[in-house]
Amino acid sequence: MRLMVLLKLAMRSVGRNVRRSILTSLAMVLGLALLVFSRSLAEGAYDEMIDSGVRMGSGHIAIQNPEYLTSRKLEHRLEEEVVNLASEMTQDVLKESLVTWVPRLAVDGLASSTAAAVPVRIEGVDPDRERTFSNIEGQLQDGRYLEVGDRLHAYIGTELAQRLDVQVGNRFVLTAQTATGDVEGQLVRVAGIFQMGIPEVDQSLIHIPIDTAREWLHTPGAASTLAFLLKGAELTDIGVETLQLKLENERKIRVLGWQESSPELAAAIRLDSTGNYIFHSILLAIIALAILNAVMISVLGRRREFGVLQAMGLTGVETGFVVFLEGLFLTFTSGVAGISAGLLFTWGLFRDGLDFSIFMEDGLEFGGQIMEPIIIPRFSVEQILISTLVILSIGTISSLYPALRASKLDVAEAMKFEQ
Amino acid sequence: MRRYQTVRTLVIQLLNTALLLLLSSPLQAQTAREIIDRVDRLLRGESSRGQITMEITTEHWSRSLDMEVWSLGVEHSLVRVQSPAREEGTATLKAGQEVWNYLPRVDRTIKVPPSLMMGSWMGSHFTNDDLVKESRIVDDYDFEISFEGEREGVEVWEFQLTPRPEAPVVWGRIEEQVRKADLMPTWIRYYDEDGDLVRTLTFSGYRTMGGRLVPASMLVTPADKPEEQTVLTYHELDFDISVDESFFSLRNLRARR
Amino acid sequence: MAHDRLWWRVAWRNLWRNRLRTLITASGLAFGYLGAVLMVGLSDGMLVELIENGTRLMLGEVQVHSEDYLPERNMHRTIGGYEGTDLEIFLNQISSQEDVTAAAPRAYGGGLLSSGEETQAALLMGIDPDREPHVTTLLSRVVRGRPLVTGANEILVGDEMAEQLGSVLGDEIVVVAPSSDGSMGNDLFTLVGTFDTGIPAIDQNYGLLALSDLQFLMAMDPARIHEVAITVGNAQDSPRIAETLREFLSDTELPVQVSSWTDLRPELAEMVSLMNAFHFIVVIIIFGMAAFGVANTMLIGTFERRREFAVVRALGTAPIGIGQTVVYEGIVLGMISLVAGSLITWPILVWLHNSPIDLTQVTSGFSVGGAQWRPVLRVEYSIESPIVAGLGLFLTSILAAVYPAWKATRVLPADALADR
Repeated sequence: MRLMVLLKLAMRSVGRNVRRSILTSLAMVLGLALLVFSRSLAEGAYDEMIDSGVRMGSGHIAIQNPEYLTSRKLEHRLEEEVVNLASEMTQDVLKESLVTWVPRLAVDGLASSTAAAVPVRIEGVDPDRERTFSNIEGQLQDGRYLEVGDRLHAYIGTELAQRLDVQVGNRFVLTAQTATGDVEGQLVRVAGIFQMGIPEVDQSLIHIPIDTAREWLHTPGAASTLAFLLKGAELTDIGVETLQLKLENERKIRVLGWQESSPELAAAIRLDSTGNYIFHSILLAIIALAILNAVMISVLGRRREFGVLQAMGLTGVETGFVVFLEGLFLTFTSGVAGISAGLLFTWGLFRDGLDFSIFMEDGLEFGGQIMEPIIIPRFSVEQILISTLVILSIGTISSLYPALRASKLDVAEAMKFEQ
Repeated sequence: MRRYQTVRTLVIQLLNTALLLLLSSPLQAQTAREIIDRVDRLLRGESSRGQITMEITTEHWSRSLDMEVWSLGVEHSLVRVQSPAREEGTATLKAGQEVWNYLPRVDRTIKVPPSLMMGSWMGSHFTNDDLVKESRIVDDYDFEISFEGEREGVEVWEFQLTPRPEAPVVWGRIEEQVRKADLMPTWIRYYDEDGDLVRTLTFSGYRTMGGRLVPASMLVTPADKPEEQTVLTYHELDFDISVDESFFSLRNLRARR
Repeated sequence: MAHDRLWWRVAWRNLWRNRLRTLITASGLAFGYLGAVLMVGLSDGMLVELIENGTRLMLGEVQVHSEDYLPERNMHRTIGGYEGTDLEIFLNQISSQEDVTAAAPRAYGGGLLSSGEETQAALLMGIDPDREPHVTTLLSRVVRGRPLVTGANEILVGDEMAEQLGSVLGDEIVVVAPSSDGSMGNDLFTLVGTFDTGIPAIDQNYGLLALSDLQFLMAMDPARIHEVAITVGNAQDSPRIAETLREFLSDTELPVQVSSWTDLRPELAEMVSLMNAFHFIVVIIIFGMAAFGVANTMLIGTFERRREFAVVRALGTAPIGIGQTVVYEGIVLGMISLVAGSLITWPILVWLHNSPIDLTQVTSGFSVGGAQWRPVLRVEYSIESPIVAGLGLFLTSILAAVYPAWKATRVLPADALADR
């Protein structure tokens, strides 16, 4: 029964001092809103980095010949039957988690034109699949990307086009050592020219239709890598594990997650996480400080109020408890308000993404991949919960201080004060 | 068109192969093919040994090399430098798909993978392609006679070669001029696909060597750098020499003579 | 005015008498200051780390080439043309410039490295082993073996290149490179060390030789070099320094081009501007929160004093007097807090600057925008940020106190007193 009374006292106290209550809880509300905003932005940036990264690399999950990762040679490839087996099994296992997948056949060779001969990395790709998988088509400068039915078409970078002195439609010859050991030439024509902004790629990467590559290199149905794109990066680990169990004991197959196949991307993600961690720690400290400060200052003006409570017959403990309940109430309403404000603000203003391109011209390289400068915030329930929990804890703990002061009052002395 | 020409070819061949050498007889596709093929293989032949001097002039330096060259078909060749003295003994061996370089100064042999064969051969305006290319020009190009008649008092044919649809060649077009009298080539011009002349190969110094009439001198001039050129001159040339594949070995690569 | 002095004393006494309130408010301001300045320092540190890792590894912050050298990098286009230039004099001229810390000469050649049956294409870089360490950290990245000595035909390759060649320390490597007279320069070199820069483009492709050894290999006169790499005091100032150097060198009549890293590595420059953008937002957020915290505290604190103000008014003080008191309180409080804040902040900044926190257990290094990033938390400090932060928070505290004080003075004393 007493409890109900105490509760009512607490609520009324909050209600009567609207300004003080609002100001005190403002620190928590703003702090929480800010955390929700910046955390969701950070999650969005993280997603963006991984997504761009794996699209340019070997997807979230890659299947290769075990020696391919280090050698990158044509001889370490997956033969036709393995390709079929692996791609079917993987599609089975991943089901709806799979967005799309691509086969790629790669070889090191020479590109020659009338003007020069340049060492290049040639990738045979499936044009339709590749277009949805990677963002290479988006980097188009001139001409067009490869299309189904293309045979002698090549998609090359601006620097390579310059060095070979070729333009869209011009011919040049690819030379490489085929699977039979012979060195053979393949005529191609420039279908389109791209610019990734990464010099090593613009100078040496060439995409040709995979069927053309297979014919030229005498490797029917083969692939160097099968790359799979998932709905979300978090699905990678479980996917890799399952596929490893099913495929790796069979023949020469190795299943890799993106952390392994794109180590530079993985490291870049860690940089981002570290930076984020530091930033949010400092932010959290400042928020905590603001909350603490607000609570402590407001306590100073309430000595008489506490005294009155005790004079009314509440014990020290009960007084303290009332004050504590006040704090708790404020904390929880702030929590709700804070989350709502944060979600509303972030979703309302930035749901289509925070555009960084005002700060720079085009995409940029990060860990060997290209990033688009638009970040779409993602709300991670986990992050929001953690942030909320932390703020609420701080709020609650801060409420202990005034509660303590309230309980230890010398009533007579307190009544002497006017506040 | 081709079938028609083939029929005519058979007819003419039945009559007299020698008619080919007459100035005014029309050139049939198949024998034109032979001529072009011949020019292409003129200095390679089935097997040969030659003594050559190569003079290279570039924007930044000029030099002259004396070399001895052996070849067996298109799969095997050995080039050994004789002068200048500080480069004497430098040699390049091509055996099948492998290319090796011997460097006498350090007495070492290095294997050069095909993807590392930088464009020019020994710093000249010839490319590695020109010398080690295995496919024949007649397989990669279609040809037609673009001119037949007199140029500067000499009766010639001029051929225009266009690459076959999927031939792995970089040129957009090649033009050749061949003298009717002795089937000697006078020049070959290489064009890119936009129709711009990229380089010219000019033949001269026609004489009999190793029992055949050959142009002893070849000049390469790049179109974009008129001050640069390479001149290759044969001093000695023997054909059908007695070498077999075993001659083209690493040991011979390193031999000094 | 006599009145002024009075309000100052009142302000001071108010603060003194309510020590707890003063302490709470001041500590909020002081620690908010610490947080904001620290964040700026850390993000600046990350930025400088990024730039320096990009430039101090191999590039240098400023480079000098012959006018016609870039972008083709034709080996014949040395500084000073075919005759070259007196290196000692040239390098000294450059080093004597005020902002220049050190300068190092380089020559380049493209060629082949061969070991046994393995041959790899390589970018040969001739360096001066004495001067180079003052400009770049390249030689300090030698993980196995030792750096070069001049005149002994020694070579360093990246660990990945060494693997591809199948070579170990002490092995002989045949180096072949087209030389300036058209011949194929070739010689035997000894592998004395392998380096690990963390950047595959370097570790897989470069071979380092002593400058004079490379010049000899390529039949180049010792007076001919392709590049001078320069390190400067402040990496972010490089464009201006390059410009100054360009003007200075135009007197020498050598047709040279002076480039800053912003020209040579535009992708790094973009990375830097992106980081700047991120940091700007981050700092705004942190600072905003700190300022809010201070404002909030001041607001609450001052609102709680309405009764106190009412009493003072009732005693006959003009409204403006209260206003002045509060403003002066704010000023004094602000100054005390900032002094205290600086006292905590500066030692921390200096300590972190000199012994940065090493995160290598947590995460390993990698490359970003062509630069290598080692996971070290570094702090840079400048004059501006503490001053700006300080001023900002100072003003915030004053303004936040003034508003409620002003409101309080507008209410009739009697009402305010009756309210409680």
